[in-house]
Amino acid sequence: MGKATELLDKLLFRSSGRMRMRLAATVLCIGNGLLFLSVLAWWNFNTILNSDEGDSHSGAVYMMIAREVTEHNMGMSGGSSFTAGEVADIANAPEVMDAGALTPARFPVYATIGGRVAMATDLPLASVPDRFIDEIPEGWSWQPGQRNLPVIISSQFLNVYNYVFAPGQGLPQLSRTSVKSVGITLQVGGENGMHLSAHIAGFSDRVSSILVPHSFIAYGNKQMGIAAGTQEPSQLIVKVRDPSKPAFTEYLRQHGYTTNPQSLQWSKLRTVVASVAGVMGGIALLLVVISIMVILFFIELTITRGAASIALLQQIGYSRQFLKKYLIRRFVPTVIGSVSVALLVSCAAQVVVHNVAANQGMDLPLLPGWPVVGTYVACLSALVQIIRIAVNRTMKL
Amino acid sequence: MKLSLHRLIPEYLAGSVSDRASDIWNKNCSVASGASVFVQAPSGTGKTTFINLLYGMPIKYEGKVEWGDTDLKSVDDKQLSLMRANDISIVFQDLRLFPELTALENVAVKRELTDTVTQQQVVDWMKMLGLENRLDASAATLSYGEQQRVAIVRALVQPFRWLLMDEPFSHLDAGNRARAISLIADVVGQRKAGFILADLDDNNYFSYSQTLHM
Repeated sequence: MGKATELLDKLLFRSSGRMRMRLAATVLCIGNGLLFLSVLAWWNFNTILNSDEGDSHSGAVYMMIAREVTEHNMGMSGGSSFTAGEVADIANAPEVMDAGALTPARFPVYATIGGRVAMATDLPLASVPDRFIDEIPEGWSWQPGQRNLPVIISSQFLNVYNYVFAPGQGLPQLSRTSVKSVGITLQVGGENGMHLSAHIAGFSDRVSSILVPHSFIAYGNKQMGIAAGTQEPSQLIVKVRDPSKPAFTEYLRQHGYTTNPQSLQWSKLRTVVASVAGVMGGIALLLVVISIMVILFFIELTITRGAASIALLQQIGYSRQFLKKYLIRRFVPTVIGSVSVALLVSCAAQVVVHNVAANQGMDLPLLPGWPVVGTYVACLSALVQIIRIAVNRTMKL
Repeated sequence: MKLSLHRLIPEYLAGSVSDRASDIWNKNCSVASGASVFVQAPSGTGKTTFINLLYGMPIKYEGKVEWGDTDLKSVDDKQLSLMRANDISIVFQDLRLFPELTALENVAVKRELTDTVTQQQVVDWMKMLGLENRLDASAATLSYGEQQRVAIVRALVQPFRWLLMDEPFSHLDAGNRARAISLIADVVGQRKAGFILADLDDNNYFSYSQTLHM
């Protein structure tokens, strides 16, 4: 039947028909390409937003949550603290992936730094569960009797020292490495307490506090803590998928919790970008619909223009079923080719996006994932079905 | 495969059939398998309608046409295609070639359906009918006589039990007609098939076993 197919091609797909077919295939390719790219954009954003990797680039935002101090609760012991039930409730709040308490030291800590950067100050130490720490430094542990205490300070503190405090006091600016080598003497629990040596083991972009291992805080609060006052945390650290989601912001508002509004704004920006991807997807879908209409028009035109040949072919013994199959087989590879080219373009785009993201420290897949592949399969299935319907319908006329 | 006709009346002849003396219209008639039938039909008596009707073309009529045990009105598209590809072949009066294809391609498009004869056989037959220099010429550029010879070859390249011919030699000179008749007789004989030839005037192109007057 190979020769027959050639002859049918000659009868039904003359040069002008081939030109129209190429045009329709190009429009379909562009439409599907845009659709795949918008799905790709949506998928990449989703990958970033839903990443469980826990670093600051993953899209999950770490936020400190506190109870708003009002005229009503100010001065009340435990007025701004969280009960265990409230912590559990927050952990299950919309968009919240994890929640942990920031446990403050309830005992005095006095730090002395010698050498060129001589200073002495009270230190407000605290701890958070290790899973909330940006990068757990080597030797991040403390056991009773251990003389050396590792400390993580907020990156902001170092910035304040280097750019605000040091220039004003005539003190040298310090790099992160040099800060880690500074020896600190701690007097813990007042004059009759214990003396420890401490060193800065790391820095945190998430927590604006001075962190030590939780075992130290637990030990100090038990052995040297002030008995009066609540033992419940007054600040929580939460990992939030998308803090700009109305459900989350409404939850905070309803419960009178406060947080850093800047992180909300950053997330709003991400929502805007996701919306843009959605709009792009809508436009792409429109283009795909238009390209399908072009394909349908092309099919109908081809069959209508070849109606006399089709009728004569049937008169000399070609069955309608054979001719339908021939037409479907003639259109389908063009559509598959066209949509596959669009998929290849989106694969190439993903490779570019992967490299750009890698330069920004983000980990995105090298190739498009299931949403794009799923869209490809769905588009192809729909198009093949549409072609079958169009050929069957037009051949009945 | 016997042909049986039962009181056939084409819709457009319904009013005038009773005025005519016809062996076919509104009569019961049968033709044995393998018969050589001549249908003599003066102009305007429905000759082409009759041939097309036997071939299952969409013509409204009363009565019944049976090929073997099959009522032609009861066959669907698929069965009709099978009949046209394997059992009944035709030379249309108006030839119905594809003007976009060459002479050889017009035959090939039919030959490819069943692959009954070889391409070389086709070329030989076309040469036999004097078309050796017109094989690759577009059908649109062929004379009516050349088209008629191409249509005859096209009708012979499939398996068939009946060959229907509607004025098949109307534009052929005596020499080409004799060669075409010889070819048709050979192939019909090889196939052990019957044929029905409809024409305006009496003739002795073949030795007919049955003559019907329209």
